[in-house]
Amino acid sequence: MYISNTGNRMNTSFHTGGILAASVFLLLSTSAYSEAASKLDDVLARGHLVLGTGSTNAPWHFKSVDDKLQGFDVDMGRIVAKALFGDPDKIEYVIQSSDARIPNITTDKVDMTCQFMTVTGERAQQVAFAIPYYREGVGLMLKGDSQYADFAALKAAGSAVTVSVLQNVYAEDMVHAALPEAKVDQYDSVDLIYQALESGRSDAVATDQSSLAWYMAQNPDRYKDAGYGWNPQTYACAVKRGDQDWLNFVNTALHEAMTGVEFDFYAKSYKTWFGKDLPPPQIGFPVEFK
Amino acid sequence: MAPSLFDQLWLARNVILSGLGLTVSISLLAILAGSVLGVFVGLSLTYGNRWLRLVVRVYTDIIRGTPVLVLVLASYYVSSAVGVNLDPFSAGVLALAVFCSSHVGEIVRGGLQAIPKGQTEAAKAIGLTFGQTFAYVLWPQALRQFLPAWVNTAAEMVKASTLLSVIGVAELLLRTQEIISRNFMSLQFYFFAGALYFVVNYGIERFGKYVERKTAVPS
Repeated sequence: MYISNTGNRMNTSFHTGGILAASVFLLLSTSAYSEAASKLDDVLARGHLVLGTGSTNAPWHFKSVDDKLQGFDVDMGRIVAKALFGDPDKIEYVIQSSDARIPNITTDKVDMTCQFMTVTGERAQQVAFAIPYYREGVGLMLKGDSQYADFAALKAAGSAVTVSVLQNVYAEDMVHAALPEAKVDQYDSVDLIYQALESGRSDAVATDQSSLAWYMAQNPDRYKDAGYGWNPQTYACAVKRGDQDWLNFVNTALHEAMTGVEFDFYAKSYKTWFGKDLPPPQIGFPVEFK
Repeated sequence: MAPSLFDQLWLARNVILSGLGLTVSISLLAILAGSVLGVFVGLSLTYGNRWLRLVVRVYTDIIRGTPVLVLVLASYYVSSAVGVNLDPFSAGVLALAVFCSSHVGEIVRGGLQAIPKGQTEAAKAIGLTFGQTFAYVLWPQALRQFLPAWVNTAAEMVKASTLLSVIGVAELLLRTQEIISRNFMSLQFYFFAGALYFVVNYGIERFGKYVERKTAVPS
């Protein structure tokens, strides 16, 4: 709540600052810059991309044993960096909590944020979303020896079931869409919702299927999928509003990674983090218009 | 495969140490800067003229009445809105130092005002200037008064440094969370981080006790 307030206050004061900066820029600009500069030009001139992402959510953005940031979100940033500089490693990471995703974009702390950001109408009023790079859905994970066999058993148990879930404004509604009577416990971070299941505080974890798949792959035979998925949501990187040139560039880079010359990069990343092979895009008539 | 805690701790040793190092440096910087600033705040509150007292009182009350997290976020985002653009580390240290200064200021004021007025009058009567009165009569007594409370505030600063993880400062808590997101051993690693915080704060407490002993009136 507080953060969104700050974000709004920031917006207004930032605009004032922006106007000021723009006037100064106009005064100082020589004939070399006759057109309004895009973030694209700034980033190219700077020589590296400033990417906002988190560091505590596998398989999206997390640290390897040797302290390197990795994950599917990070790879999306690397795709854009490769398109910019021909080198996926030319990135300066800004580590941010989920709450900081939008403020850090609107205050220019980052060029772009890729941090499993669900596209919503409200958010799209504050930042500009690039094209989707993943379609997420929610699943339920149970302990391997759980008294509930599957989704039907969970639903039948009604209010006796406690579901642990990642803290979010729509977390409660999300769980209740599948289990209308279940008790919902919200936690700050992903490891805590698993901890709640492990310690018996909850009977099931409801979170992104990608995260569940990753977790079950890391802990074979200890957990099971309840076999039900719902709540589709689109993940997309976001940039600041009002810079179509930069947004187009990010879109193009991601689009070609999913359908064109960089498909192998995307497919390799997908295989690494989600364990599935992607069929290459059909050659001939563009897949986008099927 | 059940990874042993010791293997995981050993794997993460450098990450944990760098987090601990950052936590200690954040805390030290914030406590030092906050204490220096806080002494000025305390002096202004005690000996300032009416206007200075009013301004400093408003500052202290606003800062003390604001959650540290709010100060941290404000310092990070407001600075960039006014064009200073502090990096997360500096913004965080600034917020903690400001918060620390308001507490130290109140502690100093309390310590000074607890000294009976008669002493100042007596010092004046034997011809001491205000500077001499302060240095030889008031300050040594006030110091003993506020040391325990100051140690308390210093320990609070170490704990408040965890809030910097929100703006992406890789201090001990964020480092711990990063490790947990990889190996999911949340209980063990949070417990370990808690133990490290205890060690740091216990060190501060021992240091405070040591200074208290050194400054105690010999009996």
